[in-house]
Amino acid sequence: MFHIQILLMSFRGLRQNLLRSLLATLGVIIGVGAVVSAVSILEGAQRDILDRFESLGADQILIFNGVDRHGSRRTQMNSLLPEDSDRIEEDNRDIVLATSPQYAGAAQVKYFEKNAYVNLLGGREAYPLINNYQVLHGRFITREDVRGDAMVCVLGYKVAEDLFGALPPVGKTVKINGKSFIIVGVMEEKGALGFVEVDNQVVIPVTTAMGRMFGQRYLTMLVVQCTSADRVPVCIERVKKSLRAGHQINAGQDDDFTIFTQDQFKQQLGQVALIFGVVLYSIAGISIVVGAIGIMNIMLVSVTERTREIGVRIAVGARRFDILKQFLAEASIISMFGGSLGIVCGWAIANFLSEFTQVIEVYTPPIIIALALLMAVMVGIVSGIYPAIRAARLDPVQALRYE
Amino acid sequence: MIEAAQLRKEYRMGDSVVHALDGVDLHVAAGEFVSITGASGSGKSTLMHIFGCLDRPTSGTLRVAGEMVSVLNDKHLAEIRNQRIGFVFQTFNLINRTTALDNVVVPLIYTRRSFAKKAAREALERVGLGKRARHRPSEMSGGECQRVAIARAIVNKPRLILADEPTGNLDTRTGEQIMHIFHDLHAEGITIVLVTHETDVAVQAERMIHMKDGKIVEDTAVDDRRREQILTQTHDAHTKAFRQKAIARAVVPANARIADADPVRD
Repeated sequence: MFHIQILLMSFRGLRQNLLRSLLATLGVIIGVGAVVSAVSILEGAQRDILDRFESLGADQILIFNGVDRHGSRRTQMNSLLPEDSDRIEEDNRDIVLATSPQYAGAAQVKYFEKNAYVNLLGGREAYPLINNYQVLHGRFITREDVRGDAMVCVLGYKVAEDLFGALPPVGKTVKINGKSFIIVGVMEEKGALGFVEVDNQVVIPVTTAMGRMFGQRYLTMLVVQCTSADRVPVCIERVKKSLRAGHQINAGQDDDFTIFTQDQFKQQLGQVALIFGVVLYSIAGISIVVGAIGIMNIMLVSVTERTREIGVRIAVGARRFDILKQFLAEASIISMFGGSLGIVCGWAIANFLSEFTQVIEVYTPPIIIALALLMAVMVGIVSGIYPAIRAARLDPVQALRYE
Repeated sequence: MIEAAQLRKEYRMGDSVVHALDGVDLHVAAGEFVSITGASGSGKSTLMHIFGCLDRPTSGTLRVAGEMVSVLNDKHLAEIRNQRIGFVFQTFNLINRTTALDNVVVPLIYTRRSFAKKAAREALERVGLGKRARHRPSEMSGGECQRVAIARAIVNKPRLILADEPTGNLDTRTGEQIMHIFHDLHAEGITIVLVTHETDVAVQAERMIHMKDGKIVEDTAVDDRRREQILTQTHDAHTKAFRQKAIARAVVPANARIADADPVRD
């Protein structure tokens, strides 16, 4: 009864001074809003990226072309050759299950009047195995296709659907960048692998891609499948050795390739997230401090304005503790109000960005909402305590005379 | 109801000490209607604040409503203010942002009573403002505001009402109506101590106390003869007529109903 009365009183005060309360709590709104939107975006991005990396197994190694770190500019150092793939397999049959050299490009695929712009991947027979990505109709590219620079292709699920609809594509001929390819298979529906939308991808033999299609010497990347995840560190050393030997790098010289594992990606991601987090939480922290000062300020004004009221309340029987409670409740309510608005704003901003860009994934963890509200209450109490003590300490005789 | 012995209150003003109360001895019996007069600075407000447990005497003993208030702690004093004393101020001291009803509810919040609204409504009806419960102080006349303040003072059914110049901010007609309410409360057996500097108001009490320089200099029982005597010491016919009316007002039938008072329209 008593507490409800006090809360109701505070609510009424808040409603009557809506604009003032809003302005006072602006810092809290911005602070909480920043935290909620930032966490939503960060958390969403992290989940999205981690999801993508889950398809890159913990037992795989990715090898990219090296980066030349000499001098002030970093330049790409193309070095990976299709033969590297065979060399790694041959050198390390005990711990390497398979390798998948890849060349990635973009191309236009035509089937009579129908047209599709696709990701074109030059790959090898190990690609489905390594990515746990199954063939739906027909077959995948074989070792023979690769050896013979065959003009065959395997369509991603969406490409097949776009070009053929309900018709069976296997055996038909399509034009990829003007060159004729026979469709030998269609892949299952998968969505994304890593950062590639594989449903909108067409796979051709890596040799064909690098030769007749694009005329390139170097691979985009090379995936190595180890026998097990705990052998990855050993595997990295062995792969390095094979590649250095293959690329004829002398002892003391730097690698001309870069090796990545899922672990490293996660670590790097964690670091990026940490940096972002520190920056965002600092901004949020500053806003919250500003917010707390704002609330303290408005509470001090409120105490001064209501000096007589405080005197009356004491005269009719309020204890000093009752006065303290009332002003603390008011500060907390203002702060909670700001916190709630901040949560709504932050959530709205994050979702708006997500809708608007169509790139950012958003996820708002429920815990952050609870934490934000808790923080708002804390801010209210911390910033309200001093004005509340001042109110409670007023001399009723003086307060009743106050003009 | 009030037993004060050698009450002193001193304020330090720079180097000098101001004796706001300089040894006040006073006994107010239960059911008495006492008026206190005196020039500003004579100590009457200080005395009221001390009687009302809003202030503590520097020395002396004070018993209010049976409690030795000069030795009680803050929490108990709050309880006595809440339960046993009703305060009425010159400037009404209502909370302007809430309604009449909510103003009357305020003491009940600190009593932690449920059905507070019902009790508050009853108190408002007693002062004839049952229909104005939803109005805010800014929408009411001075007389109505003071009646709300009286409702607030009586909502916890105290046995003692302390009124500090309750008619000071009102015109004479409205002042009379407010005094009418005090007479009714007195008739019900409530002890009333009223500070004023209007002779017309002061003589309506049963006992007049005059203060000067922090001391009680005069303490007289007021009967009809004395009332005549005081009030007829004027040559102005208008004042005389008015004062005669005040004398008549002082004698109120015990069964008078406050709600019967004329509604204030000023």
